[in-house]
Amino acid sequence: MKTIIYTCPYVPAELIAAHGLHPSRLMPAALRSTGPLAQIEGLCPFVHSFINEVMTGPPQADTCGVVVTTVCDQMRRAFDILIRRCDLPAFLMNVPHTWQSVAAQKMYVDELKRLSRFLIQLGGEPFLNDTLARVMLDYDAARASILAAGSYLSARQCAESIAAFGRDGPGKVLRNQTNTKPLIAGVPLAIVGGPLVKQDLDIFDIVEQSGGQITLDATESGERGLCPPFDRRRIRDDPLIELASAYFNGIPDASRRPNSELYNWLKRQLIGRAVRGIIFRRYVWCDTWHAELWRLKEWTDLPVLDIDAGGDSETHQHRMPNRIRSFLEMLS
Amino acid sequence: MPRQITLQEWDQRYEQLRKAGPHQPDYNGPLGRHVEDGDTRLLKLRYDNSAAALRLWNFLLTEEERLHRSRAEGKKLVGTMKDLGTVPVMAYSLDNIAAFYPDGAWWIPCVMESNTVLLRIADRLGIDESFCPVRAMLGAFLTGGHFPIPDLLICSVGATCDDFSAIAQRLNGLGYAILWWEIPHRRRPEPDEVEVKLPGGFQAPRCQVEFVKSELQRLKTALEELAGQRLDEKKLSAGIKKANMVRTLLAELRKLVFTAKLSPLPALEMLIAEMLAIHFCSDQNETIIVLKDLLEEVKARIKAGIGFLSPDVARIFWVNPVADLQVMNLLEDCGGRICGTEYLFTHALDTIPQDLPPTEALAQMALADPMAGSSIDRAGRICTDIRTFGAEALVISRIPGASHCALEGQVIGEIVQDKLDIPVVELEVPPFTDSMRPTLRTRLEALVETVRVRREK
Amino acid sequence: MICAGIDAGSRTIKIVLIETDTRRVITKAVTDQGVEQDKLASQLFQRLLKSSGLGRQDVGRIAATGYGRNAISFADTTITEITCHAVGVRRLVPNAMTVIDIGGEDSKLIRLDKAGRVRDFAMNDRCAAGTGRFFEVIARRLGVNISSLGQLAAKSRRPAPISSMCVVFAETEIIGLLACGAAREDIIDLPIVFTGGVAMVSGMDTALRSALGQAVTVSPDPQMTGALGAAILAAKQITPY
Repeated sequence: MKTIIYTCPYVPAELIAAHGLHPSRLMPAALRSTGPLAQIEGLCPFVHSFINEVMTGPPQADTCGVVVTTVCDQMRRAFDILIRRCDLPAFLMNVPHTWQSVAAQKMYVDELKRLSRFLIQLGGEPFLNDTLARVMLDYDAARASILAAGSYLSARQCAESIAAFGRDGPGKVLRNQTNTKPLIAGVPLAIVGGPLVKQDLDIFDIVEQSGGQITLDATESGERGLCPPFDRRRIRDDPLIELASAYFNGIPDASRRPNSELYNWLKRQLIGRAVRGIIFRRYVWCDTWHAELWRLKEWTDLPVLDIDAGGDSETHQHRMPNRIRSFLEMLS
Repeated sequence: MPRQITLQEWDQRYEQLRKAGPHQPDYNGPLGRHVEDGDTRLLKLRYDNSAAALRLWNFLLTEEERLHRSRAEGKKLVGTMKDLGTVPVMAYSLDNIAAFYPDGAWWIPCVMESNTVLLRIADRLGIDESFCPVRAMLGAFLTGGHFPIPDLLICSVGATCDDFSAIAQRLNGLGYAILWWEIPHRRRPEPDEVEVKLPGGFQAPRCQVEFVKSELQRLKTALEELAGQRLDEKKLSAGIKKANMVRTLLAELRKLVFTAKLSPLPALEMLIAEMLAIHFCSDQNETIIVLKDLLEEVKARIKAGIGFLSPDVARIFWVNPVADLQVMNLLEDCGGRICGTEYLFTHALDTIPQDLPPTEALAQMALADPMAGSSIDRAGRICTDIRTFGAEALVISRIPGASHCALEGQVIGEIVQDKLDIPVVELEVPPFTDSMRPTLRTRLEALVETVRVRREK
Repeated sequence: MICAGIDAGSRTIKIVLIETDTRRVITKAVTDQGVEQDKLASQLFQRLLKSSGLGRQDVGRIAATGYGRNAISFADTTITEITCHAVGVRRLVPNAMTVIDIGGEDSKLIRLDKAGRVRDFAMNDRCAAGTGRFFEVIARRLGVNISSLGQLAAKSRRPAPISSMCVVFAETEIIGLLACGAAREDIIDLPIVFTGGVAMVSGMDTALRSALGQAVTVSPDPQMTGALGAAILAAKQITPY
């Protein structure tokens, strides 16, 4: 089956799957400074790594296209690099930053339709409502399983499950997963921020080794990036509209204007999980999240630890563990 | 004879002009009066010595006074953020509204106190130097010591730059209500879509124009509520006509200055003049007069065959505005002259179509924003303009922290080199370039040398 | 019984020995860092024990901190330098509320609560901007000893404006870190205590005072506060009071 790779949570995997294509959410292995796209001052390391992975050959051998979105301006610019230098067909999906107007909602639906045309050009089958509805229910069930698994899986395994779900789809979710949750609960923490790379999943282990436990993964790669459960009645009426509604209205993000929904969502989650500290994970040169750091600190009484990743190995090997350790010493 | 003079020399020159010259506007005066409390930035610049240039500078540096006067006279103030040139046209179509550009506050540290409080305030809010210099706006809002706080804040987002959007969101988070509107990423129409040719040469699908129209309708409603009067098509058309007067003057000025055999006006004054197109410095009528003055001066100099640089200077096309105005002087010190610019707001310079319904015309104009589309499209327009103005080299100025600059420069540079085979250099220009001057100088001088060598071949 | 604190920093290794019960400092020493830091630390440790008439059997617990703490094989425990500097400074300046530590290659800002516990911290640990390394380079360029930089700075009439941000890593030097989030009056809690190797350079406290617009106290023995804190924390693991 041909594969479509993407990274943004506002790209509905269900739509791609309903076209008979395999949606695979690409999580770069690590932040690397090498590749066809040179590291430039001011370039977000995540964008750099993602584009390089796409250009050097994505992990899936049968990849036939890549979808990026306008949620991030740097990714929007990176699209120009992709279409100039990469043979892989690429699609730039315009995800509105405003969300409160009917026009913005309609724009998102129209973009899904445009994405559908792109997928058909790549060999996908025009989707039928019934097919889309069935796929949506499958994905919904898978998401529910993953979230429920939080009661017996370690934080890292939860994060890995979400990543695997994005990469492989609902079919292989939670296979062979056993109880890995630590017996002694550490200091409950939240991790907040944009997308992670695979190497970042070490954060979950480092937190546990330092006496903490991530009970809320509010990164883009984590549960914050999962769309909420669908309304089954609305799926029957018009699955595409329900898909659009769930994704567009259900995933809070720092890039939204205004981004008040992100804070409303965080408030509910932080209280619900009795979080005692927040790890704020951002990329150097990611202005969208960087600007939220001090706003978050003003907004919450919880201590906030800033971890800025610059794409250097020193960060991963020393700086990040050192800061996490200091943070947990502070909290205990 | 045209030449560049210092701020101190301007005080003497002003006296000469005052005694010999015609009636001066009330905001005119010695430039030195704008220097307060040891402000060093204005002292470091060099200025054109014409009366027209003096008027231009005084006009720019008295904007805040005008805004305060507008408020005192009972006018409503609209802060139009990010959008460079569309919403002010709508706002100025209402006679009891003055629109201005709060993000223009990034200029304040450039022209005033170098140890400005504004940037420190931005730092305290967590918006540090890794963000675009527009961050100075936050300080301006919190101190209230510069422009009056507007009655309505309008900000475009979507196909804009992330750091500006983040700064505006930070402002919103501090309690300043913002009316957000979406500008979509402009794309080429797909085969089954109706194509609209936009002013300036870009294309977009009809559905995107309709979307922007619907957004502008929302803004229109907000402006009407604020002004207490309807903004009908007649008023909008009149507003467009007025805006086009400014644009026509600027177009003529640019053409003359960029193509003249001897450079008749320095790069710095041209930059300031172009900026007037965005928001009219809070006085549309006066903008027209100021530009007319400049145009007359330029025409006179061209007719007399005089300029302020030697005829063999390298003709440079400049992309992106600079955070430190000194760099414009530096270009000329290094043997270059400005022959073409693309300061991220060509859609504020092109004439708004007057043969279309006004909202349609404005929507097309808004979508023609070079930042709203791809860097590839932007590069295409730059190539066209380079040919038009006969530039021999390209400088792409990077704005530190601006999210679009990291990759855009690469794309634009590659395309220009491929299509036109002219030398290209990228420069990082932070708000204070004093410590980097040797680096910038070397790059600019090397570019000029390259141009000269190519001429010999 | 004694406890030892070892601060394996980027440029130097510092060791402090204290009495476990009284927390009284018995002796301390510093040596330059090197490739074999475990060996260097061990040698320094042995020298200190010998000069104090003590043996390894007298040592109850050893805590290591600093960049190279995990390389100190004979340490019983490792603690981050944030926690150690906080404890060490508070020991020497009991009412300290804000600690600024500028070391050889990194800098830290630590805010304490009234009880002396770490309330918040920020670090510049990627770029050497504004650290000892930076001053060494500047001193070399100016052809002066690093100790005279302060006097030179005092003579300056008009400092040149420079960016405080490293464009490669977007790291801000320590003033920027302190400025961040200082929107409220009470953010910069006094007294501010300046510690770390750079605090020993004459004139640096004046420069910091001038930049912050606040009184700054140089910690007694600024180079040793990390090791002292580690030693105290090691002792607390034996006698918790």
